[in-house]
Amino acid sequence: MRTRGGEKAGRRSNPLAPITYLLRNAGKTIPLTGVIVLAVMLVAGIISMINSIPLSIRTIYSYSKEFTGVTPRGDATKTLPILEEIQAKSPYAIDRVIICRVTVTEIQSIVGKWPFYFIGMNDADTRYYLQRQRVTGVEGRLPRAGLPEAVISRPVAKNLNLKIGSEILGPTKEGGFSPNSVKVVGIAETDRWLMLSSIEYLREYHFPPIDLGMVSAKDPAEQPKLDQWADKHFKGRQAGILGYFQVEKDTNEMFATLYLILNVVIGTLVLVVTLMMSMLINIYQGQRLVEFGLLQAIGYTKKQILTRVLTETVLVVILGWVLGLFAAFGLLNLAKTVMMDPKSYALDVLDPVAYAYSIPMPLAILAVAAGTVWWRFRKFDPIGVVERRIV
Amino acid sequence: MSLLAARGATLRYVDHGKEHFAVDGVSLEVQPNEFLGILGPSGSGKSSLLYLLSGLKVPSSGQIEFDGRPLSQMDDTERSRLRLKEFGFVFQQPYLLGYLSALENVRIAEMDADNSAAAVALLNQLGLGEKLHRLPHELSGGERQRVCVARALMGNPKVIFADEPTASLDHRNGVAVVSLLNQLRGEGSLVMVTHDETMLAEADRVVRLVDGKVSD
Repeated sequence: MRTRGGEKAGRRSNPLAPITYLLRNAGKTIPLTGVIVLAVMLVAGIISMINSIPLSIRTIYSYSKEFTGVTPRGDATKTLPILEEIQAKSPYAIDRVIICRVTVTEIQSIVGKWPFYFIGMNDADTRYYLQRQRVTGVEGRLPRAGLPEAVISRPVAKNLNLKIGSEILGPTKEGGFSPNSVKVVGIAETDRWLMLSSIEYLREYHFPPIDLGMVSAKDPAEQPKLDQWADKHFKGRQAGILGYFQVEKDTNEMFATLYLILNVVIGTLVLVVTLMMSMLINIYQGQRLVEFGLLQAIGYTKKQILTRVLTETVLVVILGWVLGLFAAFGLLNLAKTVMMDPKSYALDVLDPVAYAYSIPMPLAILAVAAGTVWWRFRKFDPIGVVERRIV
Repeated sequence: MSLLAARGATLRYVDHGKEHFAVDGVSLEVQPNEFLGILGPSGSGKSSLLYLLSGLKVPSSGQIEFDGRPLSQMDDTERSRLRLKEFGFVFQQPYLLGYLSALENVRIAEMDADNSAAAVALLNQLGLGEKLHRLPHELSGGERQRVCVARALMGNPKVIFADEPTASLDHRNGVAVVSLLNQLRGEGSLVMVTHDETMLAEADRVVRLVDGKVSD
C-alpha cells in the first residue's frame, strides 16, 4: 500500500517531519525561499559588481607588477643618475633597466574612461618587456623604430575594439592625441594590459621631452621589495617611484569610503529583508496555531513543536541561501558574458567577499524567526485552540 | 484502585476582578474499562473538568491522580508524555492537520512509531479504508470526526477523553461516532462530556455537573 507521499504502509516514517510540511505547503515555502533567494542574489551581485571596479584597476595596471617605474620629476637630466644609483645601491639583483618615453591615452572601464600609459621603448627592450609580461605570442609584428606604430595586448584590443590596422592614437583621436595616426601593427597574447610603441617615435612627436626608467628585479618575486626599497630610498628627493604597491594603496584608499557606504546599504537591506521575513514567518505561524494547539493538546511538548518549527525555518533559510548563491553565480556569469567580457572588464564571479556578505542575512532571519517562535510559544495555551477561542 | 480520580478538584478563575469557579470541589473516580459520561448544560464546567482530568489544566486546589500518582507531581514534559502515551483525545471540532492524509493524521498520535499498519486497521474499522490517503478537505464532517476517533484510539490508550465529540455532527452521525468510540476502545476507559443525554446511552455511569459541582 502506498500513501500520498509514496511511503509504504508499515514502513517507519514521520508525518510530522519538517520536510513534509515544507513540501506540502509549497504556497508558503516558495515565497519565503524566494525572498531569501532574491535578497542573497542581490547582495552577492551588488558586491561582486562593485568589487569589479577595484578589481579592474588592479587588473588593468597589473603590468606595473613587473617593473619599478622611475621619473625624474620634470628634470630630464636626472633620469640616468637615478637609474645608476638604483643599480649601484639596490639590495636586490637587477635584471634590466629600460629607458622609455610615455604618453597618456585612455581605456574604457565600467565607470567611464581611465588614463593608460602608452609606452615607447627600443626593440630589444620591447621584446624583453613582452616576455616579462607573460606574452605567449604576437599576432602581427612589433612596431618599427620611429614609425607611428603600436603593439597592444589582447585585453586592450577587446576593450577599445581595435584590430591590426586600427588607429590607436591620432590627430583627431579623442583622449589619445598624436600628430600622426598611430596604427596597431601587433596584438600580444597575454592577460596583461599593454600599449607599446617605439621610443624613437615618442621622442620625436610627444611631450614632455623626458626619458623615464623601468627597472626589473632579477627574481620577479623580489619586485615588490625593490619597489618598496626604491620608494623609501628616494623619498624627499627629485625622483618619483611608481610601483604596483601604490596602485594597491591608492585603490584601497579610494574605495574605503565607498565600502563604508556599501556596508550601510547592505546592512539596511539585511534589516529590511529580515523584517519582511519575520512578518511573513509570523503570519504563517499565526495560521498554524490550530496545528500547534492540537499537537500540544494530544501530548507533544512545546520543545518538540518549537524544534520542529525551527528546523523548518532552518531548512527554508539554508535552501534560500544556497539557491541565492547559485542564482547570483548564474546572474554574474550572464553579466560577465554579455556585458563585461566583450570589453575585458574584470569581474570575479566567485568573489568570496561578495558571497561572504550574504551570510549575515540568513543568520539574521534565523535569529528573528527563532525569537518570533519563542515569543509566540512563551504563553501559548492549547486549550484556547481546542475550545475554539483562538481559531 | 481507580485508574483516574479527581479529589476535591477546583478550577478557579478571576474575571473582571470577580472570582468564579469553573469546577468546584469535584471528586470522582474512573475505573479501568469504564465508560463514564459527564452530563451538563452549557457553562456547567464539564469541559473544564475534562481538561483537569486529562492534565491539560492544573487544578487551583485539589488533586487529579492517574494510576495513584498525582498529576501535580509531574512536570509539563511528564504530563505531555502521559497525554501522548496513555490518553486519547476527541475534541468538539474535528481538528486535523490539513496537509496530512487521513492515515497520517492518525499516525501523529504516536511519535516516531512504526504505526502505519495499526492506523490502517483502525481506519478500516471506522469505515474509512477507502479514504486513507484523502486530505481532510476531501472528507465530510462525520468522516473527519471518525479520523479523530481513530487518532484517539491509536496506541491503545488507557483513557480516552471525548469533549462533546458530536457537537459538530448531526444526531445520526453523532450516535454512530460515540458507538464506534465505545466499541473500539478495547480495554481503555472512556470519559465523555456532553450536554446531550441521548449520546450517553452506552455509558456505564453518568455524572451530572451543574455550576461546576457534581449534582448527584
